[in-house]
Amino acid sequence: MRSSPLREKLAAAGAVFRERHGVEVAAHFGNPRAECGAVRDAAALADFSFARVFTLPETPGIDYLDALLAGNVPKIRFGRVLHTFLADNNGLLAADCFVANNDQEFVFICESIVPDAQLNALLSLEGKESPAKDLTADHVVLSLDGFRAWEIVKKIFGPDIIGLPYLSIENYQFLGEPVRFIRAGKTSEFGYLLVAPVKIAAELFDALKAGVDERSGRLAGADAHDALRLEGRFFNIFREGEIVRDPLPLGLQWMMDMEKENFSGCAAIKERRAAGLKQKIIGFAADADCAALRSGARIFHEGRAVGAVVTGCVSHVLNQPLALGLLPLELAFSGLPFRVGAPDGAVARSISMPPIVPKSLTVKLDEM
Amino acid sequence: MSEAIDRTIARRRQVIDTFKQELIRRLNLPFLPEDLHEDVSLLGSGLGLDSLDALEIVLCVETCFNIKIPDDNISVLRSINTVVDFVIVQQDAKGGRA
Repeated sequence: MRSSPLREKLAAAGAVFRERHGVEVAAHFGNPRAECGAVRDAAALADFSFARVFTLPETPGIDYLDALLAGNVPKIRFGRVLHTFLADNNGLLAADCFVANNDQEFVFICESIVPDAQLNALLSLEGKESPAKDLTADHVVLSLDGFRAWEIVKKIFGPDIIGLPYLSIENYQFLGEPVRFIRAGKTSEFGYLLVAPVKIAAELFDALKAGVDERSGRLAGADAHDALRLEGRFFNIFREGEIVRDPLPLGLQWMMDMEKENFSGCAAIKERRAAGLKQKIIGFAADADCAALRSGARIFHEGRAVGAVVTGCVSHVLNQPLALGLLPLELAFSGLPFRVGAPDGAVARSISMPPIVPKSLTVKLDEM
Repeated sequence: MSEAIDRTIARRRQVIDTFKQELIRRLNLPFLPEDLHEDVSLLGSGLGLDSLDALEIVLCVETCFNIKIPDDNISVLRSINTVVDFVIVQQDAKGGRA
């Protein structure tokens, strides 16, 4: 099993670990709800070294990545990041990807739901050796997220950080070593991914943690990030992605370039698209004391089983259960009453997502 | 399905269809209406629209539904569904549908 280079540090801080697709991740630090709260109200630091990181030279990187991924790689402007996915030959999700156009190189970050060896096989297009250089073993990926996260990175890397738009990349130095800095959180608060060499990982972690502590923040684990992604309606490949696998009912068409003639899984996805969508994933909410709105529960409408809950959490902001469920298209509208678990089970309503207004939406960084 | 549910769905579907078609036309988005999930984020992540596009969305709602989104209410633009919710609430407040 692959472990983070920061494992000992995380363990010393109280991390409880779990395995996810052959990778050990820090699930939580004792209080996932407080970890969610830290992101919403202050800042939280998380180790995202479970992600695979690659770099490629511009040539042949552009053509290679474009043949692999669903999004349009040649259209990525310098300094910007594309959010897309990697599918297998059956057009089923394998990884949620960021691709960054970063000064002569492309940086490729994968959150994968297939084991490393299987991802490597997918990256070997048509059996050819991948031109991607794998940085995973000797780099860490740190995620700093929160309403006040920008204050911390500004203090460490300087005020230019504030001008970075969402989905952009910039290079900085920390202790004389390069840090690839990406503004790309998935919590709906300010979020930054920092890709740094292992030799400075502990020092960078400590510097970020000190900033988090100064603002009464916390370390956060994967469980908190799962809940934050659902609350902010960011796609989570480790929850709804892993269960549904088909990008179309998940509503991931925005990650694809529909006009592209080829990418991994293209034919299968286009065939399903042409056949027409039958189901769609939508949001649900229930009263605070409802325990039934959880993954796997069946969803009923007027006494008839119509779908199932795919993933759920208790929202820190709303203090009530939230979920995503798969429903037939004719019922996939928000504002409708359903029952969960049984035909006469607890009431859950389909809702518009995202149901929260993040604090970060009220901050205009360019006016700071 | 009960008549009340049917009516709720039909009304929502009408607002969604109108809004999606106008959004695609105004912003020249490379999608069919059925490709746009109603919960997809409009700004930043998702469709990745910028502040100029946000202005187009505001104008789109004004043109299609004769409803104005206040300048200080950018949170309405979180997703297609949150825009549709806003339109339906405003239509109800006006005592009818646009």
